[in-house]
Amino acid sequence: MSESSEKPDTNPPTPPASAQVGPKVPSEQAASNGKPGQPFEIAVLALQNTTLFPETVVPLAVGRQRSVAAVEAALATPEKLIACITVRPESTAGADATSSELYSVGTLVMIKRMERLDDTMHIIAQGTERIKVIEWKQQEPYLRALVQILPEPRIVDSEGVEATKRNVQAMIQQALALLPGVPPEVRVAILGSVEPVRLAYFLGSILNLGVEQEQKMLEAETADDLLHLAHVYLARELEIIQLRSKITSEAQSEMDKAQRDYILRQQMKAIQKELGEDESGERAEAEMLRERLTAAELPEEVRKESERELKRLERLPAAAPDYHVIRTYLDYILELPWRKSSEDKLDLNEARKILDEDHYGLEDVKERILEFLAVIKLRPDTKSPILCFVGPPGVGKTSLGRSIARSLGRQFERLSLGGMRDEAELRGHRRTYIGSMPGRIIQSIRRAGVNNPVVMLDEIDKLGNDFRGDPASALLEILDPQQNNTFRDHYLDLPFDLSKVFFIATANQMGPIPPPLRDRMEVINLAGYSDPEKLQIARRYLIPRQIRENGLNESQLRIEDEAIELIAARYTREAGVRQLERNIGSIARKVALKIAQGQVESVTITADIKDYLGAPKFYPEQARKELPAGVATGMAWTEMGGEVLFIEATLLPGGKGLTITGQLGEVMQESARAARSYLWSHAAEFGISAEMFRDYGVHLHVPAGAIPKDGPSAGVSITAALASLYTGRRVRPDTAMTGEITLSGLVFPVGGIKEKVLAAHRAGIRRIILPLRNEGDVEEIPEDVRKELQIAFISRINEVVDVALEMLVSNPPPPIAIGRDHTAVQPDSEVAAVRQV
Amino acid sequence: MPNANRVFHLTAIRNQVRPSGRLWSPAADVYHAGDGWVVKVDLAGVSIDDLEIVLSDSHLMIRGCRRDTFYREGYTYQQMEITYSRFEKQIEFPCSIDAATLTHDYRDGFLLINMRCK
Repeated sequence: MSESSEKPDTNPPTPPASAQVGPKVPSEQAASNGKPGQPFEIAVLALQNTTLFPETVVPLAVGRQRSVAAVEAALATPEKLIACITVRPESTAGADATSSELYSVGTLVMIKRMERLDDTMHIIAQGTERIKVIEWKQQEPYLRALVQILPEPRIVDSEGVEATKRNVQAMIQQALALLPGVPPEVRVAILGSVEPVRLAYFLGSILNLGVEQEQKMLEAETADDLLHLAHVYLARELEIIQLRSKITSEAQSEMDKAQRDYILRQQMKAIQKELGEDESGERAEAEMLRERLTAAELPEEVRKESERELKRLERLPAAAPDYHVIRTYLDYILELPWRKSSEDKLDLNEARKILDEDHYGLEDVKERILEFLAVIKLRPDTKSPILCFVGPPGVGKTSLGRSIARSLGRQFERLSLGGMRDEAELRGHRRTYIGSMPGRIIQSIRRAGVNNPVVMLDEIDKLGNDFRGDPASALLEILDPQQNNTFRDHYLDLPFDLSKVFFIATANQMGPIPPPLRDRMEVINLAGYSDPEKLQIARRYLIPRQIRENGLNESQLRIEDEAIELIAARYTREAGVRQLERNIGSIARKVALKIAQGQVESVTITADIKDYLGAPKFYPEQARKELPAGVATGMAWTEMGGEVLFIEATLLPGGKGLTITGQLGEVMQESARAARSYLWSHAAEFGISAEMFRDYGVHLHVPAGAIPKDGPSAGVSITAALASLYTGRRVRPDTAMTGEITLSGLVFPVGGIKEKVLAAHRAGIRRIILPLRNEGDVEEIPEDVRKELQIAFISRINEVVDVALEMLVSNPPPPIAIGRDHTAVQPDSEVAAVRQV
Repeated sequence: MPNANRVFHLTAIRNQVRPSGRLWSPAADVYHAGDGWVVKVDLAGVSIDDLEIVLSDSHLMIRGCRRDTFYREGYTYQQMEITYSRFEKQIEFPCSIDAATLTHDYRDGFLLINMRCK
């Protein structure tokens, strides 16, 4: 680019003329000359928020009175030229700004076209030169100034300019790629523009840089500065465009995904419609539920609630999570036997037959069931009793429940409470919880399909409790006939009548059952079976069952009674019959093997069962042949039945007080202390020197040491042992005793007499000492056992000494320091009731 | 940044602006006529005094200024579609016309330029 100051024109692209023809362009007005340095006067249009650069064409709308006046003044000149100068951004007057608020550098503009629309003039303006205001001539009616044309920015470092220009063009390429809305002619103009100044001005006018920066570009003196500014601004603009484009494309992809989902959903709907699973299907489902609700016999409250839920269901789309919750709930309501009961079989003889078929003995229970049947027969709307069977494992509690259901002709449902620790298991979760279900009670009723099943609550003594609640407390409501007709499960939240349900609880011990719960149940004790009973049970039930289960028949296996008795005594130690059955099963299997191998055709099992079961596993505690002074035989009750135990006491010369070992519980320790104190205080009466208590300590031990023992019933035995120790008279080895003692010397009754006596009998004991008030319990003892026993009933401790201790002093007590008294007081007589065997 | 807000006015580019030269240029026809060229330029209303015609190498440059001489005191423009002020037209020829003899004339508002190559 070159510029020659001698040349009159200001058109740099014009190549220098080598020939000139015709007249030179005359210049009436300085503007037309465009030569820098010659000032001329011109109308000025104040531009707001925009800058008009040379070499650009811009449409302008002119509406302000002063601006219109300026344009009209310009149009009145032959060349229609006007100066456009931008208002400084800090001005608030806008296009009406005074001259002082305008920049001093602007652009000389050629008005190419003008058109009036209403009060606005639309002009197309083309920038030609830069001008500088030299002096303001006029403010009103329009701005007028003396201006001077500024030279076009010159190039200082042409290579630098070229490099910047290329850089700018590359950036424009990038920008245009991100701006799809740019018209093609603009693209061509920008990319094809070889003129660095024109390119920079054009960029300045299209980039919308803001007045300040645009003005800076306009005022740039050199092309280098101008291009540099354009470069900087463009770079910033490009970054913004890129960022915006990134945001836009992200938003776009979001939208694309939403659209895609929508289309897929529509398609799915169409497919569902084809499959008949569309909304009309939902309505059909609701309709079906409504029909079932109408058909079902529901109590009024239940009907109201379920209709309310059904209405909610109809308003919900099938995809809503609540839909299925409500659906399941309604299903549950419909499936529950609100009013459906099974009919009871009321044939008492038939019932008796069934009970006898299933169980041997257990007369109490059978009688209770028959009583209940009789009551139902007379008064059908009677409330079902709540029974609780307590007894050791294997005595048939659970199977008895089944048999009761059979005899009554009712459904049987069993639910095990063992280890249950969550109240919600029994009573359900509220429906607001995800995955909520009704409690086990309601579930079992639903399974039974009638509202009067026999429900067996197994292992009620093994209920747990923790922070989730106490299921035992929930049972209080369930098992109370007064309130369980409106049992409210959390899930159903509707009252269900449980009063027709025949609840039977089972437990091994009463101890862990909370008293309020115990109070609600009618407790029936199932004591262990005696050996003769076991024999009968084995004969009638166990052997036939095991023969059947092992694929044999009656002719192939016979087991003699002796063998069964031996198994019961030596291979098992239990109150029930499970081990017994297992051993019989084991024999049956071995026989089955022999028969299958063709070794034999049939087998009879006699007392010689070592070949089948190996050596005996148990040697029950047998009565000791001889007891030293200070040892007595007691009787204990365990879950397994009864046992005999020995109470051993020795004197400790120079020792003090009472040492107790053998894992005795609090109660038992206390009764030991009471026994000693009693003997001490009545020492003279028993012929014991009182100094014995002072000079000797006593050690009391109860084997087996590893088994914890507790309870008051050893009081009598301990007294006997101590009395024997102090007097030197031995306790008779054929005598066992039980009973609670008091400090004043009374003997109180204790429990478990049957088991204790049976165990003593098994152990070879033939004399039994029982509290007088336990006389009634003797009835429970099987006749055949009772026949073989002498039983003495006592009400005071001194009687024990008379009955249990031998007359002679066989182990005289050791000498004592002072006031020794060797004379043992002889008892007056033996109790007449005791007969020596 | 004085105008940070405009970042969010989507098109930062003003679409109405177009690049141009500094001056306007009239339309022209060029005839090839035997021994030379005839150039017809749409330049009505331009006084012959305001014209400058320059030959150089293979270019013909026509420069000048159209002035509105019809305007009178008391007139106001209702509409203006004729471009005034300075113009410039450069015509490129396939051969050198440096040495051509040149005459020009106005006929029916067109400027006619006759160039005869020797």
